[in-house]
Amino acid sequence: MNVLVTGATCPLGAAIIERLIADRNVGRVLAVGREPGQSWTDPRVTYRMANLTRTREVHDLIHGDARALAIDTVIHAAQHRGANDGGHYIHAQNVESARALIHACTDHPTIRRFVARSFAEVYVQPQSTTSLIDEEAALDFDPAAPQWLRDRVEADLTIASHGGSLPTAVLRCAELIAPDSGSQLWDYLSSRVCLRPAGYDPIINVLSLEDASVAFVFAARSEATGVFNIAGADTLPLSRAILESNRLDIPVPGMLMAPLYRLRHALAGFEFRYDLNVRRFHFGGVLDGTRARRELGYVPQTHVHWPRPWWRVLFERLSEARS
Amino acid sequence: MSTTVGFHDEGYGYDVFGLHPPTLDRIIHTCAPIYDHYFRVSSEGIEHVPTEGPAILVANHGGVLPMDAAMLCFDVLRRLDPPRIPRAIADHFVPRLPIVSTLFARCGVVSGTHTNAARLLERGELLAIWPEGVSGPAKKFRDRYRIQAWRVGFAELAIRHRAPVVPVAIVGAEESWPLAKKLHLRWFDSPYLPIPAWPLPLPAHYRLRYGPAMDLARGHVAADADDPVLVHDAAARVRDKLEQMLDDLRRIRRGVFR
Repeated sequence: MNVLVTGATCPLGAAIIERLIADRNVGRVLAVGREPGQSWTDPRVTYRMANLTRTREVHDLIHGDARALAIDTVIHAAQHRGANDGGHYIHAQNVESARALIHACTDHPTIRRFVARSFAEVYVQPQSTTSLIDEEAALDFDPAAPQWLRDRVEADLTIASHGGSLPTAVLRCAELIAPDSGSQLWDYLSSRVCLRPAGYDPIINVLSLEDASVAFVFAARSEATGVFNIAGADTLPLSRAILESNRLDIPVPGMLMAPLYRLRHALAGFEFRYDLNVRRFHFGGVLDGTRARRELGYVPQTHVHWPRPWWRVLFERLSEARS
Repeated sequence: MSTTVGFHDEGYGYDVFGLHPPTLDRIIHTCAPIYDHYFRVSSEGIEHVPTEGPAILVANHGGVLPMDAAMLCFDVLRRLDPPRIPRAIADHFVPRLPIVSTLFARCGVVSGTHTNAARLLERGELLAIWPEGVSGPAKKFRDRYRIQAWRVGFAELAIRHRAPVVPVAIVGAEESWPLAKKLHLRWFDSPYLPIPAWPLPLPAHYRLRYGPAMDLARGHVAADADDPVLVHDAAARVRDKLEQMLDDLRRIRRGVFR
């Protein structure tokens, strides 16, 4: 198996590449990213810098380097991470790049499979504190939704509804809890004080980087096509997630949450946006990973590494150094 | 009492629907006097409830707030040996209510979506369903113990997952706390705001009767659950049985409070 991985410089892309390298059945890995000068020690990995918003670069990448390396599987993990960015360029990064990529891969002489990353956020959040979300659940087509969400839904549908002959798997992943991954929850839990809507303590499910990379490698190996929910190993109430991160949990009336977090964003510039999370912070909803387990063989096993306060990280590192 | 039998811990002491056995244990302990001394719940036929494997309790519904549902769940937890946690299926609006939603979830209540119910049965859990839905508590006092709109989803689930159905007649709830008026305010997407006839429930004697388990899947395969005629017929059989049990229970009781 020769694999092309986009988003190679983001935490998920890098983790996927590391896992592919560890697999002896993988021949070549073509890592694609936007930053120059990336390198891997393993000689099987070739790094190419490419701007996926440019159709010509995508075409040249797929019909040039990918063909030369006999790439047979493409894992599209690239996605713009900033929740507060918007505009045409961000749309091109999130949606048009996916469209150009799958178009270029269709009827390609060597590419036989396309695996794309999507997000649990594309589903309409169930207005219930106790709900499993399967792959048949409704998607959020709210035209008033922020671009961050609309882009994700459009990119998901662009790939999932692709009518070509290329076998495609779309992995709708639970929220990744890792730094620099664009995770809203990571940013939320990185704050010393976490405000929570009073009267609600929804169950959330989160995904570790390790499990996410395993899911992508399993999907690349599998022949199953369609949409798959990728749930994580951690299912817990929001209050417990705050506790696990050693943060102060303060329930406040729901109507105060948005202005307080807007104020925080204005003053401190954090990525967390309450308007993107308002339904989830009231009603939760957990991805039902039955199909992924049955068809991909993916079972979440690795717990997330919760954000820690600096003193705890220091303490843990000192303990490790001493031992 | 241990409420951890059959509990599917997701790693933090909660299951995927938010059930938290220690919270449930505390609530059972706190509310025991209501069950034992206030409503003086008596039940018969608990042996009909399967002690393992998927099963569905189907009961009538009445009273301004779901006290009957709470007493049924309480009864199963108290009297079934070994105890099983009944997963009460709530109408869609219930898990949206502040505080109530979290409290109910910690006690095992689940939102009434098809996926939720199907996954619970696949895990071999015991569901408790009130097919009348909101129409049960919303009925007038003169219609008490008359089954209202009868949803048939439980029959489809029973056939598809080969889960026996145990009809449960509950008598006492409708006189204890009847509805006086419905205010159509639609707070938190609830269909109405109930105004009870009196501020607290009266200490009516609750009587529960569990009927023999009905195998709706007998002679059928899972795909037959897609046949609407079959499903409606199966649901009607359960309804007829429940109506008969309700009539019997009301006939033998000596009074609402005795």
